[in-house]
Amino acid sequence: MLGNPRRVEHIMGFPISVDIRATTSPLGSAVDHAFDWLREVDARFSPFRADSEVSRLNRAELTPAELSDDFIEVLAVCRRYEERSGGAFSVRLPGRGLDPCAVVKGWAVQRAAEALMDAGARRFCVNAGGDVVAAGGPWRVGIRHPDRIDQLCAVLAVEDAAVATSGRYERGDHILDGRTGEPATGLKSITVVADTLTIADTTATAAFALGADGPEWAAAQPGCEVFAVTENDRVFRSAGLPTG
Amino acid sequence: MKKTIPVLLLTAGGFIWLWQYEPTPHTETAVVAQAEAPAPAAGSATRTLTGTEVAAGRHGIVQVQVVLTDGSITEVQVLRAPATKPTEEALPTLREEALSAQSADIDTVSGATMTSEAYAESLQAALDAKGA
Repeated sequence: MLGNPRRVEHIMGFPISVDIRATTSPLGSAVDHAFDWLREVDARFSPFRADSEVSRLNRAELTPAELSDDFIEVLAVCRRYEERSGGAFSVRLPGRGLDPCAVVKGWAVQRAAEALMDAGARRFCVNAGGDVVAAGGPWRVGIRHPDRIDQLCAVLAVEDAAVATSGRYERGDHILDGRTGEPATGLKSITVVADTLTIADTTATAAFALGADGPEWAAAQPGCEVFAVTENDRVFRSAGLPTG
Repeated sequence: MKKTIPVLLLTAGGFIWLWQYEPTPHTETAVVAQAEAPAPAAGSATRTLTGTEVAAGRHGIVQVQVVLTDGSITEVQVLRAPATKPTEEALPTLREEALSAQSADIDTVSGATMTSEAYAESLQAALDAKGA
């Protein structure tokens, strides 16, 4: 029916898996197009590529009037979460210029998932380096143990939802508290379940930047459920967390 | 009636302060006392007054009820109290959580953004290989 229901490609420096279990029509090249879109996003939004829109904006080669609609949409999400988190979440840090990576990934993968839905995919899962969009379901989503790469610390059962995790264990102190410019402290990892990966990923990143107050803050965001592990190995679960 | 209003304000304010996780400034709405029962007949001097709900900063809602006997407060009841922020010590430990998750049959794994280098030894790689 599907030919190749599961595929993994490496884009933006992380593995992206697409796992399709049910579709209403042959998907044809829809999966190819989803991966093409993610490669296009990398080319346009990577601060590590000199010819990306982000890099050109940072070098003042683009005026705000020349920005693409996609870019403006991403910046609007960035601003919303900067405000909501009281500045803890920030995409403008001294010495770095503008780096919207924290928003781009979830936003781009969410859009790829929506394109698969439009093509007929009904029960499928996209996992982009640990951030998940689950369509249909229920899908059993394990949460990686913050200290052990080959172990879990919780299991969720999610249906038509997105799951994103922020933590320090994979790439060191890459999340800074925008209020201080220092690496965020207080949490080992925080996982957010929300309707879209744009919301889940950005909320998880902002909550991690907030540190000890992050879990409560994230749980208070509309439609968000939270699982978090503090630096002292205590586990926070929001009341509506969909446990598996 | 008028005399009871400052009393109610102080009472609600006192409770709010107790529930503050950290003493931060908060705005309060005015508490308006409302007689629950019709005005008492002559000779009886007990009245129950219920304050309106008061926002206790970002922690929730407080509402108190005061019973007055001969003009003095004889009883205070908390009708609504904010959920307090759990102290970290009250939360379960990761060890307890992890043990219950190990035998799970799962479809995919959520974790902090994994680089392509780390992928090879991850649970997700094993799941992808199993389903390919």
